[in-house]
Amino acid sequence: MRYVLRRLALYAVAAWASVTLGFVLPRLMPGDPATMLLARLRGKLSPAALTAMRDALGFADGSILRQYVTYWRHLLHGDLGLSVAYFPVPVGEVIGTGLLWTLALAGSALLVSFSLGTLFGALAAWRRGGWLDSVLPPALALLGAVPYFWLAMLALLVFGHVLRWFPLGHAYSLEREPSWSPSFILDVARHAALPALTLVVATLGTWMLGMRNTMVALLDADFIKLAWAKGLPPRQIMLRYAARNALLPNVTGFGMALGFVLSGSLLTEIVFSYPGLGYLLVQAVRNKDYALMQGLFLLITLAVLAANFLVDVTYVWLDPRTRAHA
Amino acid sequence: MRSRFAAILGDRRAVVGALLLGGFAVLALFGPLFVGDAGAAVDVPLSPPSWRHLLGTTGQGQDVLAQTVVGARLTLGIGLVVGLLVTLFGVILGVGAGYAGGLIDDAASVTTNVFLVIPGLPLAIVIGAYLPPGPVRLGIVLTLAGWAWCARVFRAETLSLRAKDFVAAARLAGEPHWRIIAVEILPNMASLVAASFIGTTIYAIGAQVGLEFLGLGDLGAVTWGTNLYWASNDSALLTGAWWTFVPTGLCVALVGFALTLLSFALDEVTNPRLRRRPRRGPVVRATSRPTPPSATEALVSVRELTVRYAGSELPVVDHVSFDISAGEIFGLAGESGSGKSTIGHALLRLLPADAEIDGELRVAGADVTALEGEALRRWRWRDAAVVFQSAMSALNPVITVGEQFVDTLAAHGQGSRAAARARAVELLAMVGVDGRLVDAWPHQLSGGMRQRVGLALALALEPRLLVLDEPTTALDVVVQREILERLVELQAKRGFAILFITHDLPLLTSVATRIGILRDGHLVELAPTEQLCRAPRHAYTRLLLSSFPRLPPVAAKRLQVLP
Repeated sequence: MRYVLRRLALYAVAAWASVTLGFVLPRLMPGDPATMLLARLRGKLSPAALTAMRDALGFADGSILRQYVTYWRHLLHGDLGLSVAYFPVPVGEVIGTGLLWTLALAGSALLVSFSLGTLFGALAAWRRGGWLDSVLPPALALLGAVPYFWLAMLALLVFGHVLRWFPLGHAYSLEREPSWSPSFILDVARHAALPALTLVVATLGTWMLGMRNTMVALLDADFIKLAWAKGLPPRQIMLRYAARNALLPNVTGFGMALGFVLSGSLLTEIVFSYPGLGYLLVQAVRNKDYALMQGLFLLITLAVLAANFLVDVTYVWLDPRTRAHA
Repeated sequence: MRSRFAAILGDRRAVVGALLLGGFAVLALFGPLFVGDAGAAVDVPLSPPSWRHLLGTTGQGQDVLAQTVVGARLTLGIGLVVGLLVTLFGVILGVGAGYAGGLIDDAASVTTNVFLVIPGLPLAIVIGAYLPPGPVRLGIVLTLAGWAWCARVFRAETLSLRAKDFVAAARLAGEPHWRIIAVEILPNMASLVAASFIGTTIYAIGAQVGLEFLGLGDLGAVTWGTNLYWASNDSALLTGAWWTFVPTGLCVALVGFALTLLSFALDEVTNPRLRRRPRRGPVVRATSRPTPPSATEALVSVRELTVRYAGSELPVVDHVSFDISAGEIFGLAGESGSGKSTIGHALLRLLPADAEIDGELRVAGADVTALEGEALRRWRWRDAAVVFQSAMSALNPVITVGEQFVDTLAAHGQGSRAAARARAVELLAMVGVDGRLVDAWPHQLSGGMRQRVGLALALALEPRLLVLDEPTTALDVVVQREILERLVELQAKRGFAILFITHDLPLLTSVATRIGILRDGHLVELAPTEQLCRAPRHAYTRLLLSSFPRLPPVAAKRLQVLP
């Protein structure tokens, strides 16, 4: 429990820091972007709406402290201001649907690549010098050096444009009406397949190498030697003794790489015009939509923090030593 | 340090990586002189590769080859500078915090952790959006988003170095802090700094290209990232104009690959374990004179056992022969490196793959060197079990004590789960451990308890031979005494034989019936305990008897000088 609480405290600090960053940044930066933004909106918005927007961005009247409090109050009510790129839709609404698509795409791709990579890594370490150990790591290292989004462009060119196996973009065929019907779900899956595959291929190497290297070091441990001496079946030694222990540092690594991998997947979305957060991010950047940008930053950060927390809980569940100190 | 450098150069991957990088460096430095103006429109937009434009033109009619070559300069330049900056930041913050300790370290490590969990790309975008475009913006944003990884690594390394004796010595000697950091700490992190620099450069190039692809770059400049931005903006993808993005992406990938190769090579030089040969069964060369087991044969028979590691001339164990009768306690004594543990491991076929076994090993009639695969697995633990010195690390930390009995019994087809658990409780009681601890995790037990659990585990299948490899060395004297007494008692009751391996000859004389003395892989003396104590024949035995183990460390050095 203590471990979990300590992590929670860290996430709370991180969340506070990201929120405060959104308040501090517009004040520190040259050119007073917020005033410029508000100037762009003047005339388009009613005076009341304009004040609300100013408040949400943290530019209320009064002392800095008062402004900060107002900023928080709006935030806690879910009011992140209005989007310029999608004027006049509130930022919260714009982000909402995007979040779902991103979570579904990046989440499933990450889970698949982590499981596969860990499995491959364990096998490679177990049969060191075997084909899996000699062929895959350099190949995956090459792939890992490729920017995810460029790999996505290549995949789109080959499998979408030339071979026409997959659609060229979007989350579902635009002529369809979203529903829970099997045919629509199939359509969504068909659209998600190529971006998800790209992500899996691009990230597989990280997990595989991490797992392989921890496990190689672990195979010399005394408890592995004792397992052999006990006459346990090799498969059991590999999975329950070696892989199960090597998994622990790899899970920690997974938590730490989450933000990085998510960033890559946001760029991949752009290539596929996938309507997730990445696509929104690009709209925000290109339209200088600061409110949307900050909303996205906050939401993505909170999502990553939450995912990190889940990883921590999993870790505690996996490692009896942290559980005991709980 | 020089030998490490040589090892890196000797690595084929490092050579390939360095050559690739060198090629790109030349391209970035001199290429732009030959390809003309990359920004100017020179032909029809999106024309495919031809002799006039080897890589075709972009959506704006610029020459793709020129754009790729010119783009290398800024992209690689920013990548290198940011890589340096991030590493420098990381070293200063990490080493500073780790060395200072206390409140400074706490504050720094919280800040680092916060930056680690905040996703980098969105952070970079939010900060970058407010800055004027240009290389400086990229530099600031990338450094801010990336320094934490580096700082974390260096802080951890500093903490471990600070705990080392030579740093403590320097502190006691009253050396100034800056000197300790500069002389004792930083030089010991040289390879880590190099690895970090490679890592951060990979990050800097990748993240830079990503940000520019998003449109956060200087759209007027020609870089690899903006090339890709324009390619995707000009909907090159939808028209199939592959030449607008394939060459640039390939360059990014190749640079990244070259850096990755270098970091792999560096990794293996600093961490040789990753390179070592795989552990499978040891290579066995049984001597070609089949001796049929006879009824009168001893329980264990070792004949002309020689063990050699691949690549080494000198055998670790050299033509050693001895017998152990059923129910006997046989001791093997010698200094570390004498080959005594190797003999124990060879008897159980636990030597690593690069060990070559020569000679004959028989346990309870089984030709141990002839066993392979499933037959070997079934034989193990049934007739011969082992207790290692390192009770701390001999139990699997992620499963309960009871489970480690259950899997052992199940592997040899003994009874149901419930029966196996009951048997575990019984075995634990036998060695004086509360049966309730069957559900405990290994880390919850003390060292002495764990060693008892190890002993109980070894007796699970009632083997006829128990190999004890320094079983009490890691324990304090009282616990040691208790465990030995319990062991001798159990041995008398159950009648198994023991091969007791230790460096502690006086201890051995109190339990063993016969003792063999090993030195440099040779069995120099073999006699009943009483005779060995009364009239040791070999000078080395006399030495071990008289001086071990209550020898002050200074005199221990002199011991090696004697014949």
